[in-house]
Amino acid sequence: MKRMIFVLALCLMMVPLGSAIARASEAEADFSIHAGRAPNSHFLSGPVLATASPAAVEGEAGAHTAVEADHGHGHPNLGEVLPLWSCIPFAGMLLSIALFPLLAPEFWHHHFGKVSAFWAATLALPFLAAFRGLALYEILHIILADYVPFIILLWSLYTVSGGILLRGTLRGTPIVNTVILLIGTLLASWMGTTGAAMLLIRPFLRANTHRKNRTFMVVFFIFLVANVGGSLTPLGDPPLFLGFLHGVSFFWTLHILPHMLVVSILLLVIYFLLDSYHFRKEGVKAPDDGVKVPLKLVGIHNFIFLAGIVCAVLMSGVVDWGEVTTLGIHRAVQDWVRDGLLIGMGILSMVTTSITIREDNDFTWFPIIEVAYLFIGIFITMIPCLLILKAGLKGELAFLIQGVNRPAHYFWVTGALSAFLDNAPTYLTFFNTALGSFFAGMTEPEAVPLLMTDKAIYLQAISTGAVFFGAVSYIGNAPNFMVRSIAEEAGTPMPSFFGYIIRFSLLFLIPSFGIVTLIFF
Amino acid sequence: MGIEKVLFHTRFRDLAFNALETLLELKQAGLQEVVLTYVIPREEVAFVPYGGYLKDAAEQMEEVARLRFEQWQEFISSKGLRSKVRIETGTLNAKILAVAEEEQVDLIVTGRKKRSAFEKVYVGSHVLDIIRRSPRPVLMGKYMVQYEWAGEVLTRVNDHIFDRPLLATDWSQPSQNALEFIKSFKGLASKVLVVHNIGAKISKGLDVTALRDLEEESKRRLDGYCGRIEEAGLSAESYLSVGKTTLEILRQSREQKATMIVMGRTGKDWFQEYWLGGVSHRVAEVSELPVLLVP
Repeated sequence: MKRMIFVLALCLMMVPLGSAIARASEAEADFSIHAGRAPNSHFLSGPVLATASPAAVEGEAGAHTAVEADHGHGHPNLGEVLPLWSCIPFAGMLLSIALFPLLAPEFWHHHFGKVSAFWAATLALPFLAAFRGLALYEILHIILADYVPFIILLWSLYTVSGGILLRGTLRGTPIVNTVILLIGTLLASWMGTTGAAMLLIRPFLRANTHRKNRTFMVVFFIFLVANVGGSLTPLGDPPLFLGFLHGVSFFWTLHILPHMLVVSILLLVIYFLLDSYHFRKEGVKAPDDGVKVPLKLVGIHNFIFLAGIVCAVLMSGVVDWGEVTTLGIHRAVQDWVRDGLLIGMGILSMVTTSITIREDNDFTWFPIIEVAYLFIGIFITMIPCLLILKAGLKGELAFLIQGVNRPAHYFWVTGALSAFLDNAPTYLTFFNTALGSFFAGMTEPEAVPLLMTDKAIYLQAISTGAVFFGAVSYIGNAPNFMVRSIAEEAGTPMPSFFGYIIRFSLLFLIPSFGIVTLIFF
Repeated sequence: MGIEKVLFHTRFRDLAFNALETLLELKQAGLQEVVLTYVIPREEVAFVPYGGYLKDAAEQMEEVARLRFEQWQEFISSKGLRSKVRIETGTLNAKILAVAEEEQVDLIVTGRKKRSAFEKVYVGSHVLDIIRRSPRPVLMGKYMVQYEWAGEVLTRVNDHIFDRPLLATDWSQPSQNALEFIKSFKGLASKVLVVHNIGAKISKGLDVTALRDLEEESKRRLDGYCGRIEEAGLSAESYLSVGKTTLEILRQSREQKATMIVMGRTGKDWFQEYWLGGVSHRVAEVSELPVLLVP
């Protein structure tokens, strides 16, 4: 049996097997015995941050110790026995997202689903072979408790916001452009960065077709509307919704308002100055192309569905209707109800919105399908990483927990990784790092409220890092590439991957983040 | 109403050129120009969160399409007709409808989606969507189809599609429009078959006398239709049937050896039309013949 597990793991993980896999096998053997004897308390009660004794947290608690210490509980603490290399599929998945679009875009475009499935299988198969019921629990838990609501929210926001269209003639002057960016920044927290960006990017581009230098405009649009603006609610940016799913209250994110205001005001002022400079230098006058169509928002009934989404998410954070068990996973009734309401809002939007509005928005399902494919891979492969981080100093990422210990560290490390990896898993990684650092041994429902109050500055640092730094590169946040894609299609030359970072991010964003660090962290 | 300008949309599937060749018979009915249209689906090259805009791929697809169209243009030119190429990137149906509007074409021609063996002649949802929404007549080409009839799987090649058009009418305004449109087939069609079906639901509650009255009235109207067609210089024959309308139209089209079905687009409201469809959509879906729907 052990040999089979070893061979399977060896084939799939493609790395040398050290002693850690032996520990994993011991844990599996241990689990199977106890699972046959009595109900698995872990399986029924949901994940815990660490189950070892407080004394063990202090020392060099080896995996053997953890497994042995758990004999009496009927299962091992996976976070303490999993080797660091079990995070390789996660790294592979994130690096695939980061590198394939740059190195092999056509391959990526047609095969991203297979790549995602490959990495998911690379983790899931040996994981299931080694830990069976525990692994199955962890996989099902992350799918039902994180992935499903995450995708449903993104889908509903995408569907509803895709039914709203701004028609009419705009003339791109520095003031008009700055106002568009301001409106987009304000909208992003309430209709998602993707929704706000899709609503405004085409009118923004149309308004400036007569302008010569449009590249910087689109870049600032990405900075503000597609990223920074989404920091105030869990609807704004996916990482914050993941935080909400893990117990961060809906309005807690408003604590980020001062940080968001500082960055937004700085960027808007810089933008206005830049635009004014170019406007004067270009000396271009808006062409008189005949009839001026008045500005008009169409599909505005979708704002009702948008409000419905906000209410549904709020509701799930306020009421407590008990729990139901689905495939052995406990989920709150109100969470299922919320997911149902979100699907309902999306369906209502589809049925009641004219197809021509969606077509004029260039609405297709492809982006959301891509996100769904990629995130199933991300969520499954990140399981070991999260478990190890949750184990705090007893896990193999103890060095990270020890090294990242100040708010500024959290801000910059979360941010730096969010800039090049997807910001949703990065947020969860450091969210768990903070939980493991400060509240090891406590369950998530106990620890998260403390993180919001006693260690609020750390959660602010993680949240702002994940959201703000998404703007640093094209791959930091999903709408970045979408905006770039639409701009290029419309004839606006966009900088290359590194050109964007060097010419814009390093010049405007990083100094702004430095100021945020000085003021708040 | 004449057919001077036609939009021919293609995805360069098998037999697309043959379908175009068939269409050029319309020259005898006054056709002057063909707008060859190819739409690069946006999701193939753009609008991808982590993939950006595949500019090279878009340019390559455009170039391949242009090259193919060049050959087609030569052929069209050899037939004494003008042609124009429109290669667009975007949402398929929206672009086809937009190009049709910009070019002010008289007819949109689009092929059915290539289907699996199980689905036989059934057309793709995108074609039905164009039929529902187009303010202009749409011809759904079906150059070669397999279909099942009397327990046998048959293959049919629709090459001389304008020879025996079958006009299925329910006396509605769209049916009248279809009648007017079919007049432009003068010089092309050897005979127009005019068909009316007394629906099963209507005939069910009627006694024999009422049914006979209805039959008489229907025959009178059919004769009126035939008369108007003959006035336009075409030969016409009428057929009356009773039963389930879609099945009767299909039966008549087979028995009378029609080469195309022409109908007015269902005049239902938006919800019914979009979600429930109608006889015209059903016929368009399942008939092995090309179907021309006139709004």
